[in-house]
Amino acid sequence: MMTMEGVVLKLPSFTQLMNPNHFTNRTSLNLRFTFPKSSSSSTASLSVPAAAPVSLGHSTRHDFEILHQKVNNGSKLVYLDNAATSQKPSAVIDAVNNYYRSYNSNVHRGIHFLSARATDEYEMARRKVAAFINASESSEIVFTRNATEAINLVAYSWGMSNLQPKDEIVLTIAEHHSAIVPWQLLSEKTDAVLKFVSLTEDEVPDTKMLQELVSEKTKLVVVHHVSNMLASVLPINEIVQWAHDVGAKVLVDACQSVPHMVVDVQNLGVDFLVASSHKMCGPTGVGFLYGKSELLAAMPPFLGGGEMISDVFLDHSTYADPPSRFEAGTPAIGEAIGLGAAIDYLSEIGMQKIHDYEVDLANYLYESLRTVPGVRIYGPTPSATVHRAALCSFNVEGLHPTDIATFLDQQHGVAIRSGHHCAQPLHRYLGINASARASLYFYNTKEDVDDFVRGLIDTIDFFSSFK
Amino acid sequence: MLLPLFYKALGHSSPPSSSAVDMSLSLSFCHISTNFRPPSPSIYKTLPLPPSYFPILRFPLISKSFTVQSTPIRPSPTDPSLPTSSDPQTFEQLPRKFQEIVKLFQSVQDPKAKYEQLLFYGKNLKSLDPQFKSDKNKVKGCVSQVWLRAYFDDSDKKTVVFEADSDALITKGLAALLVQGLSGSTVEEILRISPDFIVLLGLQQSLSPSRNNGFLNMFELMQKKALMLYVEAEKGIKSGTGIVENPTKDVDFDPKLEKGIDSSESRSNTDDSEPNGSILGNRGHRITEILKRELQPFELKVEDVSYEHAGHAGVRGSNGETHFNLKVVSKEFEGKSLVKRHRLIYSLLDNELQSGLHALSIEAKTPSEVGI
Repeated sequence: MMTMEGVVLKLPSFTQLMNPNHFTNRTSLNLRFTFPKSSSSSTASLSVPAAAPVSLGHSTRHDFEILHQKVNNGSKLVYLDNAATSQKPSAVIDAVNNYYRSYNSNVHRGIHFLSARATDEYEMARRKVAAFINASESSEIVFTRNATEAINLVAYSWGMSNLQPKDEIVLTIAEHHSAIVPWQLLSEKTDAVLKFVSLTEDEVPDTKMLQELVSEKTKLVVVHHVSNMLASVLPINEIVQWAHDVGAKVLVDACQSVPHMVVDVQNLGVDFLVASSHKMCGPTGVGFLYGKSELLAAMPPFLGGGEMISDVFLDHSTYADPPSRFEAGTPAIGEAIGLGAAIDYLSEIGMQKIHDYEVDLANYLYESLRTVPGVRIYGPTPSATVHRAALCSFNVEGLHPTDIATFLDQQHGVAIRSGHHCAQPLHRYLGINASARASLYFYNTKEDVDDFVRGLIDTIDFFSSFK
Repeated sequence: MLLPLFYKALGHSSPPSSSAVDMSLSLSFCHISTNFRPPSPSIYKTLPLPPSYFPILRFPLISKSFTVQSTPIRPSPTDPSLPTSSDPQTFEQLPRKFQEIVKLFQSVQDPKAKYEQLLFYGKNLKSLDPQFKSDKNKVKGCVSQVWLRAYFDDSDKKTVVFEADSDALITKGLAALLVQGLSGSTVEEILRISPDFIVLLGLQQSLSPSRNNGFLNMFELMQKKALMLYVEAEKGIKSGTGIVENPTKDVDFDPKLEKGIDSSESRSNTDDSEPNGSILGNRGHRITEILKRELQPFELKVEDVSYEHAGHAGVRGSNGETHFNLKVVSKEFEGKSLVKRHRLIYSLLDNELQSGLHALSIEAKTPSEVGI
């Protein structure tokens, strides 16, 4: 019965599913996750005639109830703040709901039916995450509250025990605050030195400078994969190469990449990788750290408490193996399961497909925005070799971004963000106080972009008349 | 575009034919930095009249009904907890200029028009001299940059004049509203206003929550600056004369008050009646008395910080005066450990502690420790 429902609802997307080249080219793990109760996956083997191509944005929209509403003065919502957080498809909401309704129970500890089931689902979610990023084992995935906590975990656990005074950490000025501040706190404790890579004239991080900054003194390189403001993508393979050549580790902030493209940690060779669930159609409250087994095994605990121990005595305790060692206390069980459901949902569409759609949408956004007079977009110009993520940070000459965002919201229902986007050093470098940012996801359409640009022009007109 | 709305608000059916109205409207807002005088155009002649003279204005019963409610997130139009302009308590306590602003905004229904009105205020705000765009004058918590300046009016030295600026137009409009509404009021009037008035403006729905907070922060900074003006003036008047004692009624305005009392030697209660009233309440005075008498302090600062704790359980129901910061410099502390010094003070103030004094934050030093 559930399957039938699944077929009816998902008919349009099945046409894409039937394409054998659809699934991402994973080298090792090729698991299909099928659950009898989940409505997100299905193994229907009916042959469906290829329908006319519908854009991914249109075909997935009905999965996101939240997008179909009116806001403020009756305008239809146009949600373009996905870099801040993504919306959740019904499948994910249902999965979390279902967890609480049917089998909520504490994990790992109990032996009764509900507890066993919760544990299974929770650990299954971990395996899904591992498969999604092609980690070699699921024990290389540590569930955290979010990517920020994951970075702090590495800073305290790995950093405190591996960094000596004068050791260097190389970062870019375009890093998110969460990828900067933990290292500042760490450097206060360990006297490590932070070195920052600035931008080229094309407004991308200067990889040449990065290569030069990486030396024998470097112990860690912390970089974003995709910039949440510049929309640029860093060549992680090369950076890992340079770092490993001098014996340094690499931590990649993949918050803006994992949700939008294929990320293969074995391929990239990174030592640590972090991402948040809420940016990839999953619930808030859960994120993860990927760390190579041998690294995690050597790291001391981060938070202490239940779950991460082996034996507890009054004068000392022994600790569990990773990942448990870094998961103190009751985790966000339902949320992790929701993340698993989100991964199912994304995998069913296919990350390559999502990425291809977004490249197209990114170009459309960039080109449309560029036609608006007075608009200044930050980051690289897209070209054959330079792909931008589907987001644009911009300013309009003579207008404050907060005015723009407020008016766009109030009068046009368009949700963008204004501020420093947790990248104050970057803004300072660019000589601005704040910027506006429109960021898309696979459920956005070209019509969304049109609505945004139309609203923006109206906004600019409105404020110009007051000059 | 704005004019028809203004006239509608005042009950006129059509605008007066004065061709200079446009100009005079903008002129009317240029004089914000001096005592507010009713602007010359005839349309404003009705404004200085008390509210009872405005029966022609039709106030919407609900202050938040001007936007279409499609999402359940915002409060519903029939939310009974929202004060309206016809709510006599809050409205009447507002300075006259604020009442005018409230009425203007409430009569404007369309959100876009509200914005225009707001931006209009901002456009006519006199810009701030760059030298005043300092960190001290910057409003914290605003997404855009906002600066505020306050000083006493030259002519009477009692009413406060505000100036403000912002790099974003909407915040500039908000700042202009506040400047318009608060300039020309006395410190006491300014401190009396509660931030609830923002609801009366009906702008809350037009502004995102973070924007609203910026507004409140602006407002609070203006109150704080007004207070500081007062305190500085008081210090100027009373330099070297010791403590001002004045039995007061309950401290009935928002007690964000600072009273620095410096005495080169301890003095007894001088009982000078200050026309402006003292800032400490009865308990504050008693504490001061006791500490002076018992410790003969070289320096004594008694600061009522009860407002910081307003709202938590120990305080509710009391009349303020629950939390004090004390700084005492006295020879009595010589040879005593920190704990002993605090114990001494606590024992001296035991009666107060039994009768509603909730907590003390104490800095107790000997004269040599502070370099006397």
